[in-house]
Amino acid sequence: MVDTFTNIQEILSEILDIEPDEVSEDTYVIRDLGAESIDLLELAVALNTAFKSGLKSEIIDDEIFLRFLREYMTEADQAGKEHAGYLKEKYPFFSETRIDEMLSDLSSGPVLKVSDLIDYIHSRSIAV
Amino acid sequence: MAKRVVITGVGVVSALGHLFEQIIRNLKAGDVFFERSVFDEAVVVCPIQNFNIRDITGRNKNIKYLNRGAQFAVASAVMALKHAGFTNSMSQTAGLFIGQGPNLDMDGEFPEIKIGSVDWEPHSALWILKFLPNTAASVIAAMTGIHGENLTVGTACSASLQAIGEGYRKIKDGYLDVALCGGGDSRLSKGGITAYKKAHALCTDNISPCEASRPFDDKRNGFVPGEGGACFVLESLEQALERHAEIYGEICGFGASMDGYNMTAPEPDGKWAEKAVRGALKEAGISTDQVDAVSSHGTGTLLNDQMEAELIQRLYGDHCPHVIAVKSWIGHLASACGSIELAVCLAALRHKYFPEIRNLNHPCSEQVNFVRTGQSVELNTMVIENFGFGGQNSVLVVKKWTG
Repeated sequence: MVDTFTNIQEILSEILDIEPDEVSEDTYVIRDLGAESIDLLELAVALNTAFKSGLKSEIIDDEIFLRFLREYMTEADQAGKEHAGYLKEKYPFFSETRIDEMLSDLSSGPVLKVSDLIDYIHSRSIAV
Repeated sequence: MAKRVVITGVGVVSALGHLFEQIIRNLKAGDVFFERSVFDEAVVVCPIQNFNIRDITGRNKNIKYLNRGAQFAVASAVMALKHAGFTNSMSQTAGLFIGQGPNLDMDGEFPEIKIGSVDWEPHSALWILKFLPNTAASVIAAMTGIHGENLTVGTACSASLQAIGEGYRKIKDGYLDVALCGGGDSRLSKGGITAYKKAHALCTDNISPCEASRPFDDKRNGFVPGEGGACFVLESLEQALERHAEIYGEICGFGASMDGYNMTAPEPDGKWAEKAVRGALKEAGISTDQVDAVSSHGTGTLLNDQMEAELIQRLYGDHCPHVIAVKSWIGHLASACGSIELAVCLAALRHKYFPEIRNLNHPCSEQVNFVRTGQSVELNTMVIENFGFGGQNSVLVVKKWTG
């Protein structure tokens, strides 16, 4: 069976018309690969098709693409909570280390990495 | 004051090749590429072998949204701008006029259709783009930086010639200085072949594939589908001279009309087709005796060729110009036929070589001056005719550029 990364690598290279070796686990989906909203739309459909049989429930594109990350930070501010803790509640599939990394990296642009897609999918898979 | 409009860039993807020299070489050598359809042995087609759009455009994520016909349009558009020496920043104010047909590849797009039900899951989020007629234009604009007035023309087999006519008028009337015009089409898919076979429009005679396309011959029995695309950079003469562009021809007139008669057959007297020809000649300011050659629609169908031969006889009488039929060489490219035929005409004018109508053994008219053997002759003024399903007629007058 093809592993999750290889599967995602193939899907991304097809959607963005790039070489598979341009995609590693550390690659930023938007920042490095230039994925736009139309590409994320395709990505959600393709991921759901590819992983459907092994998932407990459908991939939700707002979740997997961290669409509300900045809104959640504003919510945390309004509620007087720590960003890291609040994001961990919203994104339980990420480790605390990854959330800290995202927060320190936000000023450089969209933080979504290929490894985040893998973590999200693993968190939803039946085997876990 | 009306502006003169010249052609300063040409992009061609055809079974005869990409470049004028290559096209003329193949015409002189008599090289054709007809074969039996893989979907239906009874049908002959003229495919383009080993076409990969990325060889021309490079990689681009929007390519997945292009059906094969749209790919030919995009590839030839990119080639034409490059040929004219345009960069993306120069293209900004250019217009874009593209003829497009439907995507008929039903089996390829919906392989799982069963009892009216489609398995939608394997389809991409935006599969609809492969069916929208303006996707080609949208991708061309994104690739080349064109932002001007534009139009996607869907007038069946007259579409790309009409697109060129529309672009020509926009420049002539001062709305634009530059327009990229043309089209691309492919209907060699199972859906395309089946559609035209059911309509009894295709040649299904049991003869050698190279003999199937026989416009104006007594034994003609339907058209042979081909595929490809061609685009042209049209420019005001003023601007072309200013930037010392090489000029490949001048567009002098355009005419269009509708039969309003039958969904597929031409109006048999050619009354409205004649109106389109006369309109184009009038705009060009020339009379019929100033026409040196006619690039006929010449499909090889019984009805079109009969109507068209009679029309040519009636219009030109004893001063019949040379008549060629490009479809005898590359088949019928549907909405893209006019653009490819313009490319072949420009090559013929420039290289002073007019190809014979292939397989024309028993002409359906004795009065029409059909080109029966390839002729090395210097000609100046050509009329290009296209008559499409639904009674769509368009005609373009093009002249050799003599400086």
